[in-house]
Amino acid sequence: MVSLTINGKVVQAESGEMLLTVIRRLGIDVPALCQHDAVEPYGACRLCMVEITKESWNGWKNYVTSCLYPVEQDLIVQTHSEQVIELRRTLLDLMLARNPQTPLIQRLAAEHGITKTSYTEVVEPDDCILCGICTRICDAMGFHAISSVNRGHGKEIAPPLHQPPQDCVGCLACALNCPTGFIRYTDDGRTRRIWDRTFDLVTCEKTGQGRVTREFAAFLTEHRGIPEEYFRVNDESHRKELAQTMGDITNSTREE
Amino acid sequence: MKHDLSKIPDIIARYPQRPESVIMVLQDIQKEFNYLPAEALYQTSEALNVPLSKVCSISTFYNAFSLTERGDNIIRVCCGTACHIRGAKQIREQLEELLKIKPGETTSDGKFTIELVNCVGACAMAPVVMVNDKYHAQVKPNRVKKLVAKG
Amino acid sequence: MRIESVKQLVALQKELQQQDKKFARKILVCYGPGCLAAGAEAVGEEFVKQLKKRRIKGVSVEALKKTGCHGLCEKSPLVAIEPDKILYTKVKPKHVDAIIDNTIRSGEIIEELLYEDHETGNRVAHYPDIKFYSHQTRIALRNLGQIQACDIEDYIRVGGYQAMAKAITKMKPDAIIDEITKSGLRGRGGGGFPTGRKWATCARVDESPRYVICNGDEGDPGAFMDRAIMEGDPHTVLEGMIIAAFAVGANDGYVYVREEYPLAVVNMQRAMDQAAELGLIGDNILGTDFCFNLHVSRGAGAFVCGESSALMKSVAGEIGEPRAKYVRSVLKGLWDKPTVLNNVETYANVPVIIDKGADWFTGIGAPKNSGTKAFSLCGKVRNTGLIEVPMGTTLREIIYDIGGGIQKDRPFKAVQTGGPSGGCLPAEHLDVPVDFDTLTRLGSMMGSGGMIVMDDHTCMVDVAKYFLHFLVEESCGKCVPCREGLYQLHDLAVKVSDGVAEDGVLEKMERLSKSIVIGSLCGLGKSGPNPFLSTIRYFRDEYEAHIRDHKCPAGVCRELITFTINPEKCDGCMACLAACAYNAITGKKKELHIIDQEVCTHCGACVSACTREAIDVA
Repeated sequence: MVSLTINGKVVQAESGEMLLTVIRRLGIDVPALCQHDAVEPYGACRLCMVEITKESWNGWKNYVTSCLYPVEQDLIVQTHSEQVIELRRTLLDLMLARNPQTPLIQRLAAEHGITKTSYTEVVEPDDCILCGICTRICDAMGFHAISSVNRGHGKEIAPPLHQPPQDCVGCLACALNCPTGFIRYTDDGRTRRIWDRTFDLVTCEKTGQGRVTREFAAFLTEHRGIPEEYFRVNDESHRKELAQTMGDITNSTREE
Repeated sequence: MKHDLSKIPDIIARYPQRPESVIMVLQDIQKEFNYLPAEALYQTSEALNVPLSKVCSISTFYNAFSLTERGDNIIRVCCGTACHIRGAKQIREQLEELLKIKPGETTSDGKFTIELVNCVGACAMAPVVMVNDKYHAQVKPNRVKKLVAKG
Repeated sequence: MRIESVKQLVALQKELQQQDKKFARKILVCYGPGCLAAGAEAVGEEFVKQLKKRRIKGVSVEALKKTGCHGLCEKSPLVAIEPDKILYTKVKPKHVDAIIDNTIRSGEIIEELLYEDHETGNRVAHYPDIKFYSHQTRIALRNLGQIQACDIEDYIRVGGYQAMAKAITKMKPDAIIDEITKSGLRGRGGGGFPTGRKWATCARVDESPRYVICNGDEGDPGAFMDRAIMEGDPHTVLEGMIIAAFAVGANDGYVYVREEYPLAVVNMQRAMDQAAELGLIGDNILGTDFCFNLHVSRGAGAFVCGESSALMKSVAGEIGEPRAKYVRSVLKGLWDKPTVLNNVETYANVPVIIDKGADWFTGIGAPKNSGTKAFSLCGKVRNTGLIEVPMGTTLREIIYDIGGGIQKDRPFKAVQTGGPSGGCLPAEHLDVPVDFDTLTRLGSMMGSGGMIVMDDHTCMVDVAKYFLHFLVEESCGKCVPCREGLYQLHDLAVKVSDGVAEDGVLEKMERLSKSIVIGSLCGLGKSGPNPFLSTIRYFRDEYEAHIRDHKCPAGVCRELITFTINPEKCDGCMACLAACAYNAITGKKKELHIIDQEVCTHCGACVSACTREAIDVA
């Protein structure tokens, strides 16, 4: 166990925990747009930065991303000091220049007193904030269908060669976790379209509707041991029944 | 320009067939064809067991790679600090005006591509222009025409 | 032929020294970066041809050495004659005949090929007498210009690999680390981190395998010291790495060479092959238990890959996105294993320190800044080139004594050090000692060694704009402060340069800079605003002239200047017409030429072409 001070309050934390976890546990609101529990911390948006110091540092302060910084004994943390607020404001001001029409950014910027960017807006803006959650989740899922291309200001998220990605299975992990809804998809229960690819869903015999694409179902069957018939049932109560009996199967055949 | 894509497997085979070889494989392919054909990306991904999306990330992150075909002759204008101080911008403009293309573009007859490089390490002889593998030192703006005609 | 023992190594050295004594004279043709760009190869080939044909006694073709950078690049191509220590400058193939006939045969000197001292007008025959050379102390660059480049036998002849032999057969790893620590050697890549401490930290980690990497990325535009060492004396880098590997317990090493240095890639690989053939790298080096394998890893065009964590990503075959330094790469580096990463020049110092001892090294340089530093001295100095001076040497000595002062005797304005992460220092600081700590204190930094001298025709706003543009292009794009912040900072700098900036722009840029410095993930971003911050510190009035008066005092910023041909000086020679790519100048021969202001883009080509100084820039 480690003992540290956050905004004047002494708290205990497990050794190895990141500052952001502890901060959130205290109910303190620190924005962190590129952070997602399903993947490793990334440190890209910098919004979660906090001010740290120690008594032995003689007044010297450091600024670190709390998502990536592990707790330390006797650390003194300020999440809303003047310098940190100024930094967050500037970051949101800059993000608003790239994404002036994105509601999430507009809201966060407004919370920090900014309604319009003081910098030059990009021409033809979109809603991608380059948080990287989509690509990191896609990698964690094992599909690696999309990635970041180019570097610097021209960086963007795209499928290989800007063509419909062959490695995509239409699982929607990217779209459902995208903080701004930038990744669009359509789904009518029978077919799904995302990244310019069309997928057929495995449909329930009774309802004719489905939730999982054929490709994703095949992957889950092969790599997670979930029998294909599970996906062909769209009826809730029947599903729960199946799930209970299959719980043992998935646990015993799960790959690490 | 016709490219013999059958050479690709041999190039890939030069290096250990592991993910860490990907940058060096792509560089050799780039040197062979003066760009990275899509076919090369697919084959590299297969052979080295690197997801295609990662190969594309790498091909677009690093300056060394071009996904579009380039000209027979690559003219690289060094834009390092020493060259900048000694007039690299003027040389670049002379070239653009002469060949009627911008950096990164290729002339319509496929003969020349202009590229900007951030320092080739011949700083004491600034400004430096490379035509293919040949270095030209202390280039003066009014000598650019001659340089292109020769190269 | 493997060298299995130290005795064998020493015997080989003696044998090579004997062979070398056969030469009555040696011809050292410089194949350094500057000379290569100026046509050294043609000169070298002509010498080979002539020597083969003439069969001069005591001067066979083997007496010709293609060396690394001799140093005085401004006067390239360079040819040195030993043991006379004669230096010929601006040598062309057509001079080879005369050099062989006069100097090689009988030691007669050819005056017109000698260096001309710009102050006295005298020709200097011997390079140790040229101030450019006499003020230097070459340690890392000791072999450049003296031995055949990338040749293991010539390297062994001058004592190469004996420090390594001493280290792995007579010293314990801890003792080696102690010696390097005592020497006070600090990272020559720019960070200035104590090398001994880095090695000690790595050696202590209870994890394996460990790696040793050489950072040959040298991305700073204007710096070519590492290129010269990698091409001209790759074995000193290898020797330093073997010693480091032995000290920290690593068995694999990588030399990361940037893509823009194809010859360095070739030479580092060749050197590794040569060393492997003699058994100086590989298994059981010199008959000991120690095994060390080396590989070349090529960069692919990304300045950010000079940053240690990005470099290691690149070696592993990934994109060069740095990661936050809360866990240092010496503990978790390449493939998350303990890794020592040092610069080319740092490794080049290691064999000498092991050979001559820490005390010898601390005797050179300044307190807490021992040893020397190599610089690429370029820009508006008379003697551009590759130099090495003891730490603590003043800027004035470097720029005026070694550099020969400003070209055309124009006023000195500033000297830029530390690459894009560094800054510019004005005339008031010409007498500061050059060392890690002083330069940082004054708002610049040592950096890898690029030193660019600027005169009054350089606009500091343009310089800031140039560096910011560079950084925007090279940013990896991962974090917001760098990707968006530097982009906007550059945008504002362009507005200042174009004379369209709003009031309060400087304060805005200063505030933005502060956030970028605090918020950025890696060194590129954190030091990104330095070009702006250092120029605004010393040249604020120049910025204000652009903003308030819409003027560029140095006559550089295109939107704020006009070119007019002075009717009193123009003699109608048509040179400017020929140079203008936009056909903006009209005029007949021997008649006054006129620039059409509507068409003129202010590129300055005409000014370069005009030999009558008839074009005014205002």
